[in-house]
Amino acid sequence: MARYGMVIDLDMCIGCNACTMACKAEHATPAGVFYAKVLEKEIGKFPAARRVFLPVLCNHCDKPACRDVCPTGATAKREDGVVWVDHDLCIGCRSCIEACPYGARTYYEGDGAYFKGHTTRFEAAKQGGIPEGVVMKCNFCMHRVDQGLDPACVQTCPTECRVFGDLDDPHSRVAHLVADKKARPLLAEKGLEPSVFYIGS
Amino acid sequence: MSRIDEFFIGVKPQREWGWLVITYLFLGGAGAGLFLVSLYLRHGWAGALGIALLVAGAALLLVDLGRPERFWRAFFHPRTSWISRGCFFIAAVVVFGGVQTALRIMGLEAEPGTPAATVSVVMDSIAGAAALLVMIYTGFVLAPSPAIPFWNSAFFPMVFFVYSLLAAIDILILSSPLLPGAALDIAWLERSQGYLAVACLILLLSHLSIMSGSAVAARASIRLLTHGRWAPFFLGGVVGAGLIVPLAFFTLAGGSDLKAVFAVTAVLALLRLFGDYLFRFLVIRAGMYDPLL
Repeated sequence: MARYGMVIDLDMCIGCNACTMACKAEHATPAGVFYAKVLEKEIGKFPAARRVFLPVLCNHCDKPACRDVCPTGATAKREDGVVWVDHDLCIGCRSCIEACPYGARTYYEGDGAYFKGHTTRFEAAKQGGIPEGVVMKCNFCMHRVDQGLDPACVQTCPTECRVFGDLDDPHSRVAHLVADKKARPLLAEKGLEPSVFYIGS
Repeated sequence: MSRIDEFFIGVKPQREWGWLVITYLFLGGAGAGLFLVSLYLRHGWAGALGIALLVAGAALLLVDLGRPERFWRAFFHPRTSWISRGCFFIAAVVVFGGVQTALRIMGLEAEPGTPAATVSVVMDSIAGAAALLVMIYTGFVLAPSPAIPFWNSAFFPMVFFVYSLLAAIDILILSSPLLPGAALDIAWLERSQGYLAVACLILLLSHLSIMSGSAVAARASIRLLTHGRWAPFFLGGVVGAGLIVPLAFFTLAGGSDLKAVFAVTAVLALLRLFGDYLFRFLVIRAGMYDPLL
């Protein structure tokens, strides 16, 4: 069975947020909910100051703390390593948000329309299945992955800084990058064994 | 709704658990503690008050859920989830403790040596053990969190236990004039509070001392509590008004005259309860996530 993972090359990321927007379009996430986003930080001082970009998403950990603390089983891990939330089981206790060190989860209170009081046709068509009062997160676009496609953020990235694939397949590009380029996960010391790795500085 | 700091790399505060969860931590711990003390004192009405507080706290927790109508699903994962385990502990106190307390209040306690007495002892034991677990399990909910280093401490279950007992006895002291049933020994209760307050102080300082050498976010939490916006509440409220002032009165009074004046004892109990609530408030609000880079 495959174990899906992603490698993100920070040297190639230009902070354009195309991944953020592609994710929003793919999932029609409500206002204020981001499955994928690009964090930034200013480092150094003038004239050597620069901005660092860090594209983040759910790390689909091999040992997900969010799954262990969930009292209902709403958070589950598939055999292919995708960690997902069953919105029909979630009670909105938010214990998973407190357990996730990556800030990958968002509590959706409701009324996710971008224009208050007016739901667009797009929102009406795609947000219908999202109940209020539940926790939402990236699911590695599992509906696309199950069809053999890449997640929307990978498909869209104009610099191709994201590589998606099977970490257990030694011939896959993602496995090569992890092995060859000293890819490292975020907050490795937490011991959650994330499936998202970063290369570059 | 997202906030602008969500898009920056750095230490971030936890914002998901607010006053409803904090008040549950206080009422749940105090209620379970009061029930446990009532078993020791064989005081049915004190047990009833404890269960009432626990139920009130659990109701707040229910209100805090995004989908309260699905609360029963929280019983499904006791194998890994402390919240799920907590649901069983609370249910055990309410069911077994509720039956025993009702029988005690109605004067229907079983004759010693009869099979009914054995059943009663078993039910008391289950309810007592469950109450003890309710007092500490919230510490286990917080302590294993890999996200918030300030909560990663083996001290938390112990601190929560001692603070719960402290609050329970304070509530017992304050309600004693109105509580039906056998009269309570206020002097003994007040004396025990002195020892519990010392234990709280030692555990609290130990936790801060260990955390001051921990991860970036834990140090940021401690800065917030000792030098930042929460410092007046933590140092003045939790440590000062909640522990030091009552301890100073306790020590200065020499243990006898003070206890004769109920008003003074009541004020000290109120101060400790204030400190107890503030402690739980600040523990939750001072939680910070480590920076990703």
